[in-house]
Amino acid sequence: MTNATKTGMIDFRGVNKWFGSLNVLKDITLSVEPREVVVVCGPSGSGKSTLIRCINGLEAIKDGDLVVDGQRLGDPATNMTQLRTEIGFVFQSFNLYPHKTALENVTLAPIHVRKIPRAEAEQAGRDLLAKVGLADKINAYPSQLSGGQQQRVAIARCLGMRPKIMLFDEPTSALDPEMISEVLDVMVAVAEEGMTMMVVTHEMGFARKVAQRVVFMDAGAIVESGTPEEFFSAPKTDRSRAFLSKILRH
Amino acid sequence: MIWQQLQSLAGSYPLALRGLGMTVMLSAISLVLGTLLGFGLGILRTGGNRLISAVIGAWVDLIRGTPFLVQIFLIFFILPEFGIELDAFTAGIIALTNLAACFICEIVAAGIRSVPTGQVEAALASGLSRWQRMRQVVLPQAMRIVLPPLVGQYVLLIKDSSVVSAIGLTDLTRVGWLVVQRVPNGLLVFFLVGVGYFIVCYPLIMLARRLERRMGAAHGEVQL
Repeated sequence: MTNATKTGMIDFRGVNKWFGSLNVLKDITLSVEPREVVVVCGPSGSGKSTLIRCINGLEAIKDGDLVVDGQRLGDPATNMTQLRTEIGFVFQSFNLYPHKTALENVTLAPIHVRKIPRAEAEQAGRDLLAKVGLADKINAYPSQLSGGQQQRVAIARCLGMRPKIMLFDEPTSALDPEMISEVLDVMVAVAEEGMTMMVVTHEMGFARKVAQRVVFMDAGAIVESGTPEEFFSAPKTDRSRAFLSKILRH
Repeated sequence: MIWQQLQSLAGSYPLALRGLGMTVMLSAISLVLGTLLGFGLGILRTGGNRLISAVIGAWVDLIRGTPFLVQIFLIFFILPEFGIELDAFTAGIIALTNLAACFICEIVAAGIRSVPTGQVEAALASGLSRWQRMRQVVLPQAMRIVLPPLVGQYVLLIKDSSVVSAIGLTDLTRVGWLVVQRVPNGLLVFFLVGVGYFIVCYPLIMLARRLERRMGAAHGEVQL
């Protein structure tokens, strides 16, 4: 679908969502350009996970427009399954398939969805696992991997589909502290290759390093948005100041 | 006297073999059909369509809440009233398949529900179709939960097949009734009938136990 007005890779226009009577997304307007890295932060329950889960349709929006890669979500003409192949999603709890090896996790969708020949998909999968530093773990099952390793496999699994967009939902929140950097390093590498990314995280070091923009949410609304430099050194609102003082204290 | 009875029993062995064969055939056909149908119903039951799920749920409750003997009588004696004539074997297969499908449906549905939603979300997010999600991600993990009670259910269903003797099918149980008319030693005859069922069921009981033990070791999927 072509759109008359110029659109970004991800375009929220006046998006609202309710869980029952709770307004979890309030009039969200936000545009993410191709190759842009946007970090979304905010207190828990502020709607940041819901925001990125809407982008690949894991949550449905109630009203407003959400256009992703030129396709309007909720439009009968939009093939959601097709659109999802262009969007990688990294979960807080990894969600690797426990009955498949690291390599099988990475090659499942390329083989069955992209219809890439198995040998070719496996070669690509090995290369990707090597890229995230797990060349020696291709035949390991998720239960044999540490949290950091599992999350790196999960990122490789997304990259295997050669997506246009990658979404990260608190990718390091479930990790032991010593494993966070190995995952962030992989994410930095992905960002530096020019991937369009939206990352829900409180890792402000990551935000400073690769994000073009930080979006601060509270109570379902976008309260503030700016470059990491602006946001960290001169937060504009009381709520963002209070939030930053909490997460930067330690 | 017991010696005479044993001799007379030995003479009945072709009949006994026929009965055993009938029990095995009836069970095997019904279990294969019932498993296929049960998996289909179980997948539909958890498929998200409320109407379909409710209809299947109501049918399963109805079948689970009524005696199998009554179900067989309904199929064999009542359906002809509505112009559907079935021979005893077909009626037996239909009744037993339906019973198996209903129990297996609930076992499969419970297994599917036990798979964490994160797994379905991961499969959704990578663009797998509904069938691919089921086939590649959900069912292999559900099988962990499904297999031990499934095999256990097979044992119960094989024993339930004895009820079809009531509509005149010469299965193992009916052979018992026939033989006991010639050899008036019910204890001996039905002990041997019991042994016949046990021989069929015991390997399955062993298999169920083995599967249960292997659950802990497998990486989320069971290799038989």
